[in-house]
Amino acid sequence: MHSHPDLTSSVIQGLGAFYLVLFLMNAIYTYFSFKKGGHSKFLERLTGQEIPAAAMWALYSAFLLMIAVAHLTSTSSPNAFLFKLPEWVKYYVDVIVADPVSFSVLSVVLFALMILLREWWVKPVVAWILLNVSVIALGLSMTDWDFRQIVGKPDNVPIVAMLFIVGFFTWLYFRRAIENDKRIDEGRDVFEKEDNEKILVWPDLVYTELMCMVILTVILVAWGILLHAPLEEPGSAVKTPNPSKAPWYFLGLQEMLVYYDPWLAGVVFPSVILVGLMAIPYIDFNKGGNGYYSFKERWFAISTFLFGFLPLWVAMIILGTFLRGPNWNMFGPFEYWDVHKLEVLYNVNLSEYFWLYSPEWTPWVGAMPVAPPDASLPQQARIIFLREAPGFIAVIVYLAVLPPLMAMTLFRTYFLRMGFLRFMVFSNLLLMMLALPIKMVLRWAFNLKYIIAIPEWFINV
Amino acid sequence: MAKKLSTEEILAAARKESGKGEAKSGKPADESPAEETGQASEEQPVRKDSVPARPAAAGKPKSTADILAAARAQAKGGSEESESRPAAKPASKAGGGAKSTADILAAARAQAGGGGGEVKSAALKKATAAGDKPAAPAGDKPSVQEMLKAVREGKPVPKSGEAKKTMPPRPERPAPKKSAKKEERRNVLLALVTTPFAFAWTCFSTASLAATLGVARFMFPNVLVEPPSKFKVGPPSDYPFGGVATKWKAQFGVWLVHAEYEGQNLIYALSSVCTHLGCTPNWLESEQKFKCPCHGSGFFITGVHFEGPAPRPLERVGIRLAEDGMLEVDKSKKFQQELGQWVDPASKVVIS
Ligand code: FES
Repeated sequence: MHSHPDLTSSVIQGLGAFYLVLFLMNAIYTYFSFKKGGHSKFLERLTGQEIPAAAMWALYSAFLLMIAVAHLTSTSSPNAFLFKLPEWVKYYVDVIVADPVSFSVLSVVLFALMILLREWWVKPVVAWILLNVSVIALGLSMTDWDFRQIVGKPDNVPIVAMLFIVGFFTWLYFRRAIENDKRIDEGRDVFEKEDNEKILVWPDLVYTELMCMVILTVILVAWGILLHAPLEEPGSAVKTPNPSKAPWYFLGLQEMLVYYDPWLAGVVFPSVILVGLMAIPYIDFNKGGNGYYSFKERWFAISTFLFGFLPLWVAMIILGTFLRGPNWNMFGPFEYWDVHKLEVLYNVNLSEYFWLYSPEWTPWVGAMPVAPPDASLPQQARIIFLREAPGFIAVIVYLAVLPPLMAMTLFRTYFLRMGFLRFMVFSNLLLMMLALPIKMVLRWAFNLKYIIAIPEWFINV
Repeated sequence: MAKKLSTEEILAAARKESGKGEAKSGKPADESPAEETGQASEEQPVRKDSVPARPAAAGKPKSTADILAAARAQAKGGSEESESRPAAKPASKAGGGAKSTADILAAARAQAGGGGGEVKSAALKKATAAGDKPAAPAGDKPSVQEMLKAVREGKPVPKSGEAKKTMPPRPERPAPKKSAKKEERRNVLLALVTTPFAFAWTCFSTASLAATLGVARFMFPNVLVEPPSKFKVGPPSDYPFGGVATKWKAQFGVWLVHAEYEGQNLIYALSSVCTHLGCTPNWLESEQKFKCPCHGSGFFITGVHFEGPAPRPLERVGIRLAEDGMLEVDKSKKFQQELGQWVDPASKVVIS
């Protein structure tokens, strides 16, 4: 085990400042809550009395202030400091998060909850509580040495910021969409139509843009001065840093590369993603939500896009940034990056599964065809195609047989409204997007390496 | 100084000329300075700011711009005077003499645009347009208009006008063709205007070419610090059974392995390039495997892949027992297991 201190006095001081900021945020929130008035229904049920919501927040803010002061003025030994994450929490978080299966299940479940509970979590109070919970969780986690190492790394700091920003914008979308959904249900005009006051590009928009530019420049400059970009060792053709990570925005692709062949995950899928995003306006026949936010009117499009964006892209960035450690093994956020962490995997190609020849049990299959060393090219090709036939059949079924089946069953109305060509493009894009989670599940469940494996020609699927 | 052109004047004149080349030719009288001071304000607001300024400027104290303009005018005028000989390059001279940007542009445009028959008409138009304001400059120095007029009357216009007439008698010359002759003359005009550009572009292309060649030169360095593809790694006894020697990885990118493969006791050299995407795996002694840090591919000591996305085993490079009893690795040869090349005797040294 490593012997790094989880807490030092400078960390405690930093956390004090952190809680002070949180206190200020909540103090401001309290002020607005007070101005707005209103009672907390939850507290009313609890105590039987009408308690102003602002009082709750004032209490909470005061509590935060005390914590901040306790951190800032602490003189006791850091080892005796009590306000830190309990070990058992760390243990369970590590167990859940450091496994690709539970991580992905978790991200998909969270995604589903986000959609299902949308009317609940778009409420400002709920969102504010969620934000507080996540910020406090972050602060508490900072008391762990390993967590600080990975989250506090200068090039990972903006990714933490990005997570909050993604959360905010998703919240903003859902809030406005649900507001409009309600309006549509009630037969009123959507918000964008009611609030159609036009403003001028000059000066309103340009002025706003200028302010944004100035503020962002200040942030960038401050960031550049305060956080020093870490330089790695000089590049070498025969030495790769361990772990070797792509730039954060490509970590989704790097994660894809764990499951797919380079040409597929590095060339084909990125192009399909780009072309697919460009194709959206052409395959979208739904006029709903045109010029205004709405979830109900385009729930399928929104959910599909968000599924591709949140669990399949952002979650992969989180995974790649915070959880992938040496040897590209997965590590929990509170786990030491042990180069010798052992993860036993043994991956097998589909053809190897299929041609598992045992004369007594599967006499009808026969042994896996192997090309003789001196085979001519056509001969070789025939044998390879025979060997990989199960994989080819699976892929063809997936990409060619499934779309018509989809058209006849689940996506009947879509097919009728889109027409043949558009529907084929649409269904193939959808299937390709789903190919990643499907391959992941196959890898975890069956240790499947490649569905079609032709290393001779560098083609693997 | 009969006339000094301030920048505004030059611009105004340019605007006027390019804008009203046609219209002016109809009523040349408008241009006389006497009338302009009075009339221009109502009738021709465009001219108002341009021409009236000229007479006035004569008496005024000179502004910097004026002085500059004057100097410019003199310099140009002087040069033109000295070249009062029949200009073989009339249009371009006129353009230079006029010293307004628009003139130069117009001239260039006329010539560039009229590679064929249009040259003449455009040039003519321009010449007439320019010549329409003759009275204004009465000073001792030739004015733009005078220059233009002179140019027009002197050679070029008649020439361009007579071009067709003079053409017939010429065929007896040894020149190749009539049209070629005509072309040639135009080409001279064209060349005069385009020469600076041609020169600049030639310089630019030459410089770019030189730079490209210079870069290409880097592909052939004087000294190659790359390790040789063939190198000696010591006697087989240096490599005990079951071990992976990583000492050659940093310099040559190979592991020397002494292990059993398919029932044979072998020493072979594995290339330290991951067959997935080309990262460099590490040999993990405790796990007895090569593990790639990029996407987690794992390889047995034999080089055969067993985990992660790598689709094929690590590649072997050539190895042989040299005559002096040393092992010699030859990186220029590759042996891929999936192609059945590991049976090649050059890919291994059998230890008995
Ligand atoms: S490069 Fe080695 S696993 Fe991808």
